[in-house]
Parts: sequence; C-alpha cells; structure tokens
Amino acid sequence: MASKKTARKTLSLAPVLDLNEATTLHEKLLGLKGSDLTIDASAVERVGTLCVQVLMAGAKTWEEEHLSFTFSKVSDAFEKTTQLIGVDIDHLMAKEI
Amino acid sequence: MDMNEIKEIFFQECEEQLAELESGLLKLNDGDRDPETVNAVFRAVHSIKGGAGAFGLDDLVSFAHVFETTLDCVRSNRLDPGPEVLKVMLKSADVLADLTNAARDGGSVDEARSRQLIKELEALANGEVPQASAVAEPVAPVSKAAPVAVAPVVNDEGFQPVAFSFDDFETDEPASMEMPTYEIVFKPKSDLYAKGNDATLLLRDLSRLGEMSIHCDMDTLPSLDRLSPETAYFSWKVSLKTDKGEDAIRTVFEFAEWDCDLDVSLVSGETAPVGEELPMQPVPFDLSILDDEPVGPIGVIEEEEQLAAQQEIRNAAVAAAGTASNVLQMAQSAARAPAEKSAGAAASAAAQSAAAQQAAASAATPTIRVDLDRVDRLINLVGELVINQAMLSQSVVENDANGTSSINMGLEELQQLTREIQDSVMAIRAQPVKPVFQRMSRIVREIADMTGKSVRLITEGENTEVDKTVIDKLAEPLTHMIRNAVDHGLETPEKRLAAGKSAEGTVRLTAKHRSGRIVIELADDGAGINREKVRQKAIDNDLIAADANLSDEEIDNLIFHAGFSTADKISDISGRGVGMDVVKRSIQALGGRINISSKPGHGSVFTMSLPLTLAVLDGMVVTVANQTLVVPLTAIVETLQPEAAAIHSFGSNQRLISIRNSFCPLVDVGRILNFRASQANPVEGVALLVESEGGGQRALMVDAIQGQRQVVIKSLEANYTHVPGIAAATILGDGRVALILDVDTIVAASRGQSLKPEMSLAAAG
Repeated sequence: MASKKTARKTLSLAPVLDLNEATTLHEKLLGLKGSDLTIDASAVERVGTLCVQVLMAGAKTWEEEHLSFTFSKVSDAFEKTTQLIGVDIDHLMAKEI
Repeated sequence: MDMNEIKEIFFQECEEQLAELESGLLKLNDGDRDPETVNAVFRAVHSIKGGAGAFGLDDLVSFAHVFETTLDCVRSNRLDPGPEVLKVMLKSADVLADLTNAARDGGSVDEARSRQLIKELEALANGEVPQASAVAEPVAPVSKAAPVAVAPVVNDEGFQPVAFSFDDFETDEPASMEMPTYEIVFKPKSDLYAKGNDATLLLRDLSRLGEMSIHCDMDTLPSLDRLSPETAYFSWKVSLKTDKGEDAIRTVFEFAEWDCDLDVSLVSGETAPVGEELPMQPVPFDLSILDDEPVGPIGVIEEEEQLAAQQEIRNAAVAAAGTASNVLQMAQSAARAPAEKSAGAAASAAAQSAAAQQAAASAATPTIRVDLDRVDRLINLVGELVINQAMLSQSVVENDANGTSSINMGLEELQQLTREIQDSVMAIRAQPVKPVFQRMSRIVREIADMTGKSVRLITEGENTEVDKTVIDKLAEPLTHMIRNAVDHGLETPEKRLAAGKSAEGTVRLTAKHRSGRIVIELADDGAGINREKVRQKAIDNDLIAADANLSDEEIDNLIFHAGFSTADKISDISGRGVGMDVVKRSIQALGGRINISSKPGHGSVFTMSLPLTLAVLDGMVVTVANQTLVVPLTAIVETLQPEAAAIHSFGSNQRLISIRNSFCPLVDVGRILNFRASQANPVEGVALLVESEGGGQRALMVDAIQGQRQVVIKSLEANYTHVPGIAAATILGDGRVALILDVDTIVAASRGQSLKPEMSLAAAG
C-alpha cells in the first residue's frame, strides 16, 4: 500500500520504556519516517504512558502517510499495559503472525 | 538494607521536607498566597506524618497530624494565614524539627512547648470556622466534591480520622447485589510524568478496586512531528464497579492529585453505564504480570535503593504488611494482596504514595546519597594524584632536558586531566549554603521571641555553593553573629520607633561568590556600634591606652578582642563569655577573614570571606631568601619588576613603591618572616601587588617567581603547629614542603604590628 516501495524497517523496543526512553523513542521513530515499519515489542518488560503516546502518535502519522505500521510481536507486559490504559493495538498487530 | 538504613533514609528525607516546610512558611509570611506554596507546605507535613507512621514514631505522628489539620484549613481557605497564624506555624515547624531530631537521635523535646502548640494549632483549626468546630475534612486530601465526611478535627491519639462516606450507606445497604458504579475522569498533567509517576500505575491500582472498563481519549495526540514526548496527551474516562467507596478511589490518586484533573462521580447503583457513546474497553482483572516489574514509579528510584529494594522484596515476600518495615516493600506486598478493608487500601496507598513522593523528589534532580567518608577518601587520593603528577612532571624535566615533545604533550594532557578530575571531585563536595541559612531563620525567631524584638531575616544567595567542610564549620560562628546582631545590634521596637525606623528590625544574610571565595555578609539595620562605649570598654579592660588615637574602623574591630561584650547586662542569648573573638578565630581557622563596618544609627555589616574549598588552592610559587613559598593567587592583583626610580624610602626603614602615580607600601616578605636580617634590594626581586580583605594594597617583595601551580593544602596546625604569617603548607613536585603565605597577616604585620619573635621561620623552612 505504500505509495513508493521502500524497504520495510524494523524497530525493536527496549525492555524498559519509561520517561527517559520517551524522547529516545520519539527520535528513533522520526528517523524511520517514510518507510513501512514493523515494531518488535517482544522484549518490553515495562512500558509507561509516555512511550505509548509516542507509539500511538507514530501509528497515526504512518497512517496519514499511507504507510504500514505494525507490531510483529508484543510481550505480555506490553499487551497488558495497553489494555489496562485502554489503548487498542489489535488493529496494529501484524496479521500474518 | 536493614531497618535502620531505611529509617535513616526517612530521616534524611524529613530534613528535606522540613526545609521545604520552612521555606514555604516563610514565603507565606512574606505574603505569598500561591496555592502551590500552601500545597507544598501541606505536602511536607503530610509526608513526614506518613513516614513517621510507618516507623511507629507516635509523637511525631500526632504532632504532625494536628499541624496538618490546621494547614488543611489554610489550604481550603477556611483559615487566613495572617502573621499571627504563621507565627504559630513557624514555631510548629521548629517543634516538628525537634521531634524529628528526637526520634532520630533520642534527644529530648520540650513537651510543654509542643503541648502548648498543639493547643494553639487546634484553636486555629477550630476557631476560624465556628460552625465546623466539630466537623472538618478528613486528613486524607478529599476534594470539594467528596461526600460529607465526619471526623473530629483532632483526636488525642492523633490517628488519621477515617473518612466516613454516607454514600456507602446508601449504596451498600439496599443494593446487596449491585455494586455501585463510579465514573472517573482522569486527566494527567505533564508534571505527573515528570515526577516519575505514571498513569499506568494509577490505573493499575484503580483496576484492583473492582471491575473496570476504560476509554482512552487520544484526541489531543498530535502527529509525530509535533509531539513533545514528555507531554501528557492521553486522558481517561473510567467506569469502575466497586464496593470500596469513593474514598478508596481518591486514595489511589492521593499523591497525584496536584498533577492531574480528577473527577469522581457516582453514576448509579445499577445500570447507566458511563459514557455510552464512548467505546469502553474492559480491563482484564489479571494484571499480575505487571507486578513483576520493579515496584514503584518507573526508573526514578535511586539505583542503589532500587537494587536493595528488589533484594528486600525477594527476601521478604512473606513479610506482613502490618509490620510496616519498608515503605517500598509495603507498597509491593500491600498492592499484591487485593485490599480487603478500606484501611488496608489506605495503608497501601499511603505507603505507595510515600514511595511515589520519594521518587518524585528524586526525579527533579537525580541524586544518590554517598557516604561522606567515601568522598573524602576520593578527595585525598586526588590530592595525592595532583602531587604525584607534579613530581612526575618535575622529574621528566630534570632527567630529560630536551624533553621529547610526545612526553611533554602527554604530561600536559595528564595535568589537564588531573585538574579536571580535581575540579569535578571538589564539585561533589560543594553544597549550597541554604541549609545553614535556614537554620538561622529559626535562631532569629527564637531570639526575637526572647528579647521581645520584632525581626525580619532576609536571606539572599542561598544557592551559593561552597565546600561541605566550610558549610559545616560556618554554622557556629554564624549562629553567634546572628544572636549578636539581634540581641546587641537591633534596638527594641520602642527605641526603633523613636529613632524614626520601622518597629521591625531587619537582618540581612547574603552569600555570594567573589574572586574565587565565598563572601557572606550579615547586615542589620540597628543602632550600629557605639564607638564611645567600645572605646571606653577597651580602655577599662586595658586593651588600649586611654589616649590611643584610633580610627573608627580600628575601634569597630576592637570587638573582635577576647572577652569583649558591650551589652550592659549579660543576657541569656549572647554574652556567655563567648565573644566575637571566638567567631573571628573560627573564621580564621577556615582560612577566612572577617570585617566589620558600622554606621551609627544605621546598623552594622559583618563581612566574612571564606575559601570555597579547604583542599586546594591556586598559588604562585615564589622564592624568598632561598625558601620556597606559595602565595594564594586570589590575593595577587599584579606582579611587577620594580625599577630603582620607583622606590622611595621614608622613615627609618619604610619604603614605598610608586605604581602608576600612586604610592604603595613595599613589604619585604623575607624580612617580615625573619628569613633574613636586613632588607633585600627591591630592584633585584619581584613585587607582588596584593589586596587584602581590609582594603588597601601592598606590594610584597619576593626574590623570584618560580611559577604558578595548583597546590594541595596540608594543614600546618594538624601536622606541625600554627605559625603566624603562614596559612598552611603543601608538598611540591620535588617532594619538599613549601609554606603557603597568609597574606592578610603579612599585610597586618607590615602595619607595624610585627610578627612576634617566636615566629622566626629561619629554622622552620
């Protein structure tokens, strides 16, 4: 669905996504703009609201640019936390896995 | 980490909270009516109470409780913090500090005083709100929307009143089947995250109270480019079915209440799902996976503590929450077991929020607490490193006259690195003078009370940093001087009014950095020094001859002589035989100088100038009569090579040097220190133009300048004995000891008060 075919990129999230990580994650995502993106959240042990905000802003931006933004794998902690705070990531989950 | 260590951390935090409390109250005293200031004051007392409760410090808890209740009245605008109210509050802050100290060191507290204050506080809490004399808001912060809560303002045991909600009656009794549903709208502010708290934690705790579904409002979330990663965008609407009551819900947010907008409302006992139009996502009840992470707000607990806490948690999984041994541990265990009683919930929340607060405090500026001994050891080692590096440089120079450039460059880099290491290590010890200054405000209050004077202490530059040793040793002389200033310096209100001044006296305490030293000024707007009286007293005590011709400045400085007290009667406060001479000596022992200037009728100003550190100094290494001496660089204004034409003699053996059309006394350092019997020829040496604290310049004559170097100060008093004219010693690169010149004493000696014969240093070098 990408307007121009670019290589799909993968971002592996750090185990701890806290206040400090929010800025780093934001910068990383900005650097990956313009490509289809797969996010690997399988290593996440702890995620705070700020990082979820960054990820969701990313999803929104990718959608606006008609690029794909999917989570390939998510850890239990990541999934539970997003459920807890009412952030639905189902539609972002990679379908083939 | 054992119990005592945890307690020690608690007390350290108490100190911080007490400082916060006092500065907040002082701000209020100055007319600040910012709700945040009131909140900060309230929070400080509340945190102390919370922690003290966990350690079973009942005295502290009960006093803090009464204090807190009164503060709550201020917070809710039921009590206006006027001067009288604040006077009681400031005194209460002092007693709270005393109680904390007593709990820590087992000291005693003036019980009568604390009982009296409890009465006064209760009167304030009750008096201003007559119809609410028996009814007040419970201590746990509850917003205006809270159900009517009935609790005595203060009970004798000082236990936290349990908020009593009528809603519970209404809903619990008829609806045995249906649990009430609450709608909670929770909008965090960015501060919540900045303080290390996280909405996930609050929502997790909330979900434990019952059956919860949630809607996350992401409408304000911008696109990635415009996103600021540390700003709060999400907000939530939560529907919670719980029988724990509204208070339990509010307790979850207790320590976040300043950092979020929160609205809790009871929707209904049965139906009426909140926000039907919003897609609500049910929250799975099994969130146990989230518990396995380190407890508490994310990543802000001090590293060491966090590791220790994790260890503790592993070891003590079975520890009963009731023992309340470890705040962190409590939060963990209490949070694991679903709270059965509201009391349990409150305890867990209190403990958890204590952890949250602690985390929040450290989030502002991440810090670790380090044993002072370790820092000192490091400083000592760095000192040795500096000496060693100097020795290395010297031996390279001696053994290799050509000096291959790579070695020289390496050495230079090493020198720079050593210098940087040293600066950084010194910075570890540097601390703001604020704690000492804050202690002074209490002293001023107490003395003002005792003397019946009205005094206002103004502090400036409290964040000026100086080495910890200097700070520690500063408190005592400063205390004494403040006492003097209030007791002797300021007049009684009547006299002040008669003199056309305001009844309230002002004492101003200022700290600032000036050319590599810290200068502390203590100014009062009192009567100034009564020179006639001082002079008479000096004559009576045989300090000066009856016909001595002294300048005003000289008379003022007489008060620094031993056993000098001009107060007519010896008061309880000052004049205990400890005079200003002791102050002067302790300042001098710190390598500092003290000066006084006074204007009759307008007050006196004491100026202390102290070195920033007692460990190193930048010095000019000079030769005097074959001895190597170090002159502190801060004292030197300029150096010059005197020309014969510029030297003028006068009197028997005095000489002046003319520098840019002004004359300056020429002081032969070798002669003053008795290194040589006769004066050296100035043209063969170098003149160092120095400025002394007393003002005025002198040209110090030395034979030659060897170089400029940072030297490590080694105390002469500790290793040898005090030598007048010499401030300390150091070890040079060649391993020899060099003496550091005390420029002020030398300058003073040159005014004729020559150093005494036993000061001859001919043998000491």
